[in-house]
Amino acid sequence: MDLHISMSAETLFTIGGFPVTNALLTGVLGGLLVIAILWYVGGKVKRGKYNRFVGLVQWVFEGLLNQIDNVVPDKKIARKITPLAVTIFFVVLLNYWLSVIPGLETIKFNGVPLIRSLAADLNFTVGLAIITIVTVQIYAIKYLGVFANGARYFRNPFKDPVGAFEGILELIGEVSRGAALALRLFGNAFAGEILLIVIAILTSYFAAVTLPFFMLFELFIGFIQAYVFFVLTLIFTSLAVSHHGPEEHHEVEAASKKTKASPVKSGAKV
Amino acid sequence: MNFITQLASAPEANGGIVEALGIDWRLLILQIVAFLVLVVVLGKFVYPWLMKSVDERQENIEAAAKAASKAQEAAAESQAETAKLLNEARKEASDIIATAKLEATEMKNSTESKAKATAEKIVAEAQVQLQKDIEAAKRELHNETLELVSLATEKVVKGALTKTANEKVIAESLSEATKGAR
Repeated sequence: MDLHISMSAETLFTIGGFPVTNALLTGVLGGLLVIAILWYVGGKVKRGKYNRFVGLVQWVFEGLLNQIDNVVPDKKIARKITPLAVTIFFVVLLNYWLSVIPGLETIKFNGVPLIRSLAADLNFTVGLAIITIVTVQIYAIKYLGVFANGARYFRNPFKDPVGAFEGILELIGEVSRGAALALRLFGNAFAGEILLIVIAILTSYFAAVTLPFFMLFELFIGFIQAYVFFVLTLIFTSLAVSHHGPEEHHEVEAASKKTKASPVKSGAKV
Repeated sequence: MNFITQLASAPEANGGIVEALGIDWRLLILQIVAFLVLVVVLGKFVYPWLMKSVDERQENIEAAAKAASKAQEAAAESQAETAKLLNEARKEASDIIATAKLEATEMKNSTESKAKATAEKIVAEAQVQLQKDIEAAKRELHNETLELVSLATEKVVKGALTKTANEKVIAESLSEATKGAR
């Protein structure tokens, strides 16, 4: 059997020179599914008509909201970041789960597999990481101000050499965080798809028995990946808005020197 | 495998690792825009309702928790109040019992003394009455004795004594009878 594995999403057809890939097509389906589910749940909640499915989605939403409130210290920013973080969770979850649809490799259009998880397309994961990092920066600027936020990365090496080095590390950290976000999700989704294809080929006719276990495993991994992306978005936001500037660092140092100078006083305070 | 061939040959063919990884700027921008539109649409039309519902539920839970806490406090207060009232009632009851015992003892003593006094009075009155009766009986006996003596004397000495001697005898008898009566 010819096993065809492509790292990039493959073009099914083009519209005016614009490539429509299998991941994009699955992504549109996933996006519509997210809108349909959340719109349905939102409408039901608005009308006060609840059923088990609405209760389940609402329960998940409430859990996410509690998580946001716990991780992000500022309640205002927590509420502002909610739409992005929750949408990330639902979009990643449903798109990841779409990779478990049977016929992953077998249904083809123009010789190209029709279904490919959007999460297994770097265009999506990199895009999501860019959105997250940019949003975090916007909130950091709003919360700390342009200069204070810039001071996290750029400090005078003559006045504060350690701080300047720390700033460079922080800058590298921001880039690596984005890269890690994108590559982690892509790697898991891509590897998951390959795993399902390989297991299907290796187990041949027994695939009907073995695949469901791996599909369940993939569903679990999909949930974990969606949750990890969601939580990391919150943690990056939280870190950005609770970051202490160099001035505060100096203040802390001065305060610690003062404490050392008068141990009795500090002891009394303790 | 195709994948390995593709990955290795792609940078040479297209001139970059970015294209080898399948990153197409047009697709990247399209997906970013599409995702942002999705966030805005859901953030405007769906999440507010869900957040409102969650907030309301949390408010209800908080209100219920507050009510439960208040009820618990009220129950504790009521229990304390009951215990206090019970203690007061016990104290009052023991006071009442003590007072009743005291009053009963006093009443018993007073009744006993009254009864004693009444009995003594009755005894005294009875003795006075008895004395009077004895006196009356003695007087009656004296009178009857005098009459009997007079009769007997009259029968014995009738005619033998003179009037003077008779009177003298009578006077002596009377005097003796009087002495005897005393």
